[in-house]
Amino acid sequence: MKIMIDGRDVDVEYGETILTAAKRAGIKIPTLCHNEAFEGQGRCRLCMVEVEKGSMKNTVASCTYPITGEIKVTTSTPLIEKTRKNIIMLLYKQAPGSQLIQDMYKEYGCVDNSLEENNADERCILCNLCVLACQEMGSSAISLIMRGTDKQVATPYNEAAEVCLGCGACAEICPTNAIKVIEKDGQRIIWNKVFNLVNCQRCGKPFATREQLEYIAAQGKDISTQNLCESCRRKSAAEKIQGFM
Amino acid sequence: MAEDVSNTEDMISPIVTAYPREKRYILAMMQDVQKKYNYLPKEALKMIATHAEVPFSQIYSMATFYKAFSLIPKGRYNIRVCDGTACHIKGSAVLIDQIYNNLGIKPGETTEDKAFSLETVNCLGACAIAPVVMVNDAVHAKVTSSGILKIIEKYRGDAGDEDE
Repeated sequence: MKIMIDGRDVDVEYGETILTAAKRAGIKIPTLCHNEAFEGQGRCRLCMVEVEKGSMKNTVASCTYPITGEIKVTTSTPLIEKTRKNIIMLLYKQAPGSQLIQDMYKEYGCVDNSLEENNADERCILCNLCVLACQEMGSSAISLIMRGTDKQVATPYNEAAEVCLGCGACAEICPTNAIKVIEKDGQRIIWNKVFNLVNCQRCGKPFATREQLEYIAAQGKDISTQNLCESCRRKSAAEKIQGFM
Repeated sequence: MAEDVSNTEDMISPIVTAYPREKRYILAMMQDVQKKYNYLPKEALKMIATHAEVPFSQIYSMATFYKAFSLIPKGRYNIRVCDGTACHIKGSAVLIDQIYNNLGIKPGETTEDKAFSLETVNCLGACAIAPVVMVNDAVHAKVTSSGILKIIEKYRGDAGDEDE
């Protein structure tokens, strides 16, 4: 089926979200809490677009709105720009320490107001991507805790979580770089837990935690290259292919 | 009345396992534990996580989300000051200040000797006798700033007796 996005005809599949369709058509919609690995969350509301369905006009979050019929989408209108500006202003108050949010604050021409600002070094915008990533890794060591203005991402009781593998997927996916990972002297510290890093057998570079490797081994997956870092693993695979030629 | 939390595991286990191993019973399990202990001990949350086969972090997320649950032990006497509209106008904030001056606890906190804990509630449904204070199950009506001190003294005396 076809829908109209910003005056262009776009081929879409029934049930897919506006954001997915727009992305494929090369139409940019700003997002913060979205990652292709997961379904839309509708948390940050930055991807709001205008949807016209017959004579009805509505603003919706494009990451969660499934296309089920003929619609006309506009990704930028004065109302939507105003909404986004407002969201960025509020996110800036929540996470004034984030470079990304600071840049967006300027980009959208936000102006300061009397709303109270969070700690100057706070970077978390509570997008929940880290929680999803941790869940996907099979650990679920972190979650959103408390509610309202006290809401934050944390491990239970802020203690080192038994199930945390120290894989750093949470920090990797974080759009605002809010999760602290300290790596030094062969150790990685994340979420108040200290991990010993394992060195790559080939180049000697520390590349993973012992817990991570044990977890992979316990999954019964192919572990023949598990003692190699990412780049050495690629090299070893390339050499193998060479051997066949 | 809050019970002693020694040998918790044996005590909590029957409360939790009374429910089927399903996600939808988690809140009910929490309510039952809270009813018995007046708070949710860490062991209980872990047990619920294991029983319902849900990550501990998600259980913790739920437990911290609802105001009805407390993660720190409550005192033997739980003082609930109504801070609804009527009680607020009738000076409940003064009562909260008085309690802080006298016991050194703010809403959500418990005294070090575990005798008293304080919480505010949004309405006790007794606006005609505002401001209302409940201590455990006893209702105290039209409490004045000196009245609250008398109430604390009364229970402090009782608390002392229990220790002896």
